[in-house]
Amino acid sequence: MSELAITRPGAERMGFFTDTTTCIGCKACEVACKQWNDLPADGSAFRKGGSYDNTGALGAATWRHVRFVENTQPSEAARADARARLAEGGGGHVPSIPAVSELEGAGSGATAEDLPDLVQWAEDNGTEEVDVAGAVADMERWVFMSDVCKHCTNAGCLDACPTGALIRTEFETVVLQADVCNGCGYCIPSCPFGVVNRDQFDGRAAKCTLCYDRLEDGLEPACAKSCPTDSIQFGPYDELVETAKGRVTALHERGVTDAYLYGAGDADGEQLAGGLGAFFLLTQPPERFGLPAWAESPAQENVPGATLAGLTAAAVAGVLTMASLMASHRRHRTRPRWKRSV
Amino acid sequence: MSHDGRAPEQEVLRRFERDRREGDVRPAVGTRGEPARWRRAVRDATVALAGRDWSDSRWSFIFGDDTGYTRPGGSEDQVVEANRRMRGAPDVPQQIQGPVMHPAVWTWEVPLYFWFGGIATGSAFVAAASDLVGDHDSAKVARMVALAAAVPSAPLLIKDLGRPERFLYMLRIFKPRSPMSMGAWCLSFFSSAAGAAVAADLLGREREARAAGAVTAFFGTYLGSYTGVLLSATAVPVWARSKLFLPPIFVCTAVATGAATTRLALAATGTKVGHPTRTALGTVETAAMATELVLSTVNEKRLGRLGESLEQGRPGTLFKLAKWGVRTGLALRFARKRGGPWTHHVASLLYILSGLAFRFAWVGAGRTSAADDEAVARTARTRSHPLTHDPA
Repeated sequence: MSELAITRPGAERMGFFTDTTTCIGCKACEVACKQWNDLPADGSAFRKGGSYDNTGALGAATWRHVRFVENTQPSEAARADARARLAEGGGGHVPSIPAVSELEGAGSGATAEDLPDLVQWAEDNGTEEVDVAGAVADMERWVFMSDVCKHCTNAGCLDACPTGALIRTEFETVVLQADVCNGCGYCIPSCPFGVVNRDQFDGRAAKCTLCYDRLEDGLEPACAKSCPTDSIQFGPYDELVETAKGRVTALHERGVTDAYLYGAGDADGEQLAGGLGAFFLLTQPPERFGLPAWAESPAQENVPGATLAGLTAAAVAGVLTMASLMASHRRHRTRPRWKRSV
Repeated sequence: MSHDGRAPEQEVLRRFERDRREGDVRPAVGTRGEPARWRRAVRDATVALAGRDWSDSRWSFIFGDDTGYTRPGGSEDQVVEANRRMRGAPDVPQQIQGPVMHPAVWTWEVPLYFWFGGIATGSAFVAAASDLVGDHDSAKVARMVALAAAVPSAPLLIKDLGRPERFLYMLRIFKPRSPMSMGAWCLSFFSSAAGAAVAADLLGREREARAAGAVTAFFGTYLGSYTGVLLSATAVPVWARSKLFLPPIFVCTAVATGAATTRLALAATGTKVGHPTRTALGTVETAAMATELVLSTVNEKRLGRLGESLEQGRPGTLFKLAKWGVRTGLALRFARKRGGPWTHHVASLLYILSGLAFRFAWVGAGRTSAADDEAVARTARTRSHPLTHDPA
């Protein structure tokens, strides 16, 4: 075992199953996480590119983040449909979107162009008589996803950490020991999911601990406890995977055929980072949620090959340096004395 | 999430509180930076709401077996198929809502350290090679250069830490899987050996100096190459996808800058034109830099779309500057005779500066690449598609 790990007889793998089909975007999990872990707010800037999401991303002080996935561009079909409806004389009045003026006034840097282009859409069609409800419905659904540290089986951060601050607990979660971390920052680019980050005021890296302290005391993590719709479920990993697989089957039966699991239920050799301890049920491609379609611990993947290439190159360079000096000295010795300039 | 360099309100309050207490930040329990020593009031007592096997989570679970939330006993293949369909399609969806990953937080200290470490490695090689051919005077100078380049390395790395006072934690464990851990160890050994070699030189103990010089060169093989491994072993597309090129490129830069610095040092300490070591170093620096240029160009072509991060912005400018520096240096090398030894000195200097620009360009390109959500997503897709693609 090359990982630093705590073991305890009887402890089993615990995890999160986050079901985006039941998430209502209330951000209760974010608040509960900040309260329990005593994390400061990140300030309130809206995410770049036009979104009502005002947390932005996971980071050193945001260990749960409810990502808002807004389709800001109506699809071609939606546009055609709306045009047809306008031609029929249907539709209503476009209300001004309050957020536009609010955002501009608040100095967040967001402009009308950044927001869902309902206004633009109405202007394009040269009218104010637009069926807003219809237009909104035609835009793809607004979905939410409560993002969190994935507690990977092959954890990139854990492999990268040079101090041993990151460890594997007896619940097979990945925990960063704040009293050991010296803020080298190597775990940050080593995480393929952009979870861990360094607190610029504190100097150390920080991330979700899957409420290790609560787990030790027999309590479920704060986010799962606070989730009002059970979008976040906590439990023994194997049980969660079973539930999740059944959930996919149930959704497929009801016609939601895009439902799939991100991080669990994959065939061998297709798992994300060896399987994610915190996995998700999604209904859109992973990139829409800012998740990579594939991930592996970068250290496990690249270190052996790169080290071999580097050491070989260094050995070759060393030998060639030596050969060059030897050749030069031999030439010098065999050269006639009168030609020597030294 | 960025703070635009301003401290958030909570931090302002925290600092205000801290200042008001005049620096007394002792925690309520235990010692700062150490685990708190406390005991439960009642031994082995549970906290409120605690239950065995986290029964509180079952208690708060709203979906029972009768809710139709899940359908147990579904087909495994159905889930595998669904995952493949959504994750294994060849195309990246139109809209990517990033950020997908965080860029490295390293600042100027790290590329500068790469440069110093490279010079130290190169001159350690030169020292060992000079000893082998019997030119002990040049070896002595090269050992001095190696130590001089190794000395600022550790302080630079310490300065880059978020908690510099904890720098010794780097040597808390020995972790072959982490290039950062191995690099920290290697730098310690290298610096110690380089220091010992120079100390032996000063004490006039030649045999010991040569032995220490050989040890320095041995550790140099890793010190000069691991920096490339360090960058490759991350999830940053442009670094990770160059994993077989980056370490050799960094080795070339290391050898070239090391040889060039030693060459200049030899010239400065009175080694005459035509001295075989000095001549050989000119060949070594030129060959190494030419190889570096070829490898970089091949790698950039190979990367395709990902290589954009090496062309745009400040890293792109630095990269271009570095390449032109190398080309000018090569031209000066081949246009010898005319300008006398000074043309070669200028060439050496150009190689050294180009090496510095290359280091900054590579570290900067990683930042651009990690922030490029499309590049990150596309890199992941190209890996997932062949894996999960159903040939049927």
